[in-house]
Amino acid sequence: MNYDDEMLMAYADGELDEVLRAEISAAITRDPVLARRVEAHRALRAEVAGAFATVLKQPVPEQLAARARGAAPAAAAEAPRGNVVQFPARTTRPPSTPWRAREWLAMAASLVLGVFITWKLLTPRDATLVAVRDGTMVARGALAYALDRQLASQQTGAEPVLIGLTFKTPEGQYCRSFTVTAAGTAGLACRTSSEWRIPVIDAAPASGGDMRRASAPPPVVLQAIDARITGEALDAAAEENARNAGWDIARP
Amino acid sequence: MTAVPEEIGESIVALLPRLRRFARALSRNQHDADDLTQTVVERAWRNLAQFRAGANLAAWMFGIMKNVWIDNRRAHGRRAEVALPEDSGEHPAVSPVDTETTLWSVSEAMSKLPEEQRLAVALVLVEGLSYKEAAEVLEVPIGTLTSRLARGRTALAAALSGEERGAVT
Repeated sequence: MNYDDEMLMAYADGELDEVLRAEISAAITRDPVLARRVEAHRALRAEVAGAFATVLKQPVPEQLAARARGAAPAAAAEAPRGNVVQFPARTTRPPSTPWRAREWLAMAASLVLGVFITWKLLTPRDATLVAVRDGTMVARGALAYALDRQLASQQTGAEPVLIGLTFKTPEGQYCRSFTVTAAGTAGLACRTSSEWRIPVIDAAPASGGDMRRASAPPPVVLQAIDARITGEALDAAAEENARNAGWDIARP
Repeated sequence: MTAVPEEIGESIVALLPRLRRFARALSRNQHDADDLTQTVVERAWRNLAQFRAGANLAAWMFGIMKNVWIDNRRAHGRRAEVALPEDSGEHPAVSPVDTETTLWSVSEAMSKLPEEQRLAVALVLVEGLSYKEAAEVLEVPIGTLTSRLARGRTALAAALSGEERGAVT
């Protein structure tokens, strides 16, 4: 009886149903070549598993455990990754005020609107809504939460963040326009690598008293939408489906 | 939304050894692995709203790690691949049975696998996930997972047996 390699691999991994398992077990007792092939799969598995098992016994770095408990990353944590010198630099967590100042600075350097917007977006409780990383703005806190969860069709108007349009780009990426009501700012956020990146943000025009809907976005935001949208904006049902699917597009 | 942050935090801390091991299986050295793990932990906190209560936290975080790892590789090209292991502190030690030597040689062999095969091998052989669990993390049909796993194993076996004959390059 001939068994292909995938079948023998699944047997060695204990992935076959009882019938097939019994059949191959019996065949192995009769065929030493088959037995050796199964044994080779088990040996390789044991070697690979054993090699990496040593990692489990190593102590977990302190800063990693702190981050796992939800500690805010230090300023350096948002620097480009993969650089050997980056990681140790993250061990200390600077006090929040200098960090915020540094964030303001980064923003001012990367954006014409920088300081103004940052000041507007930071509430007195230091609930940062936008972080800058590699010169890209990324939604945080209540803004990230609203972009993740909030449906334009179910807004009461009392939300700190109001969602406007939700649409797809030609690449299949989701983008959502938003207004931060308390800050008087509006922008566009696009879903990239499981986060909301913000290509544009600007001061929002005064809303005409109707707080149930986000007021018309400022011109730069409209231009950003026009440059990205493909087809129509999502309707309520499509918006809800996209949210429930986690906003992620299928990977090729 | 309903999750208590402290509880989630402790659950993530409890997962760290496995996350580091999975990351190590995808990276060339422990340093890069810890960098990857930290990015995953930070992203998990940012995207906690997407985690459905009662779902498997380990599987969810493995999925994030897969995405972050693939994104990093796309972003940085293959630069990490040509990096010499000099700074990893994981050179083969004198004794051929030294565990660090095994880790180093298996890791080197893993690093030569195509991305998709490396992920399959890391999830099933290193992390011990079932085929079904691994297929879910990778968001592929189970048949795709098994064929990637089989091809990855064949290549890995060839690379490792080559090394055992003294062909350490």
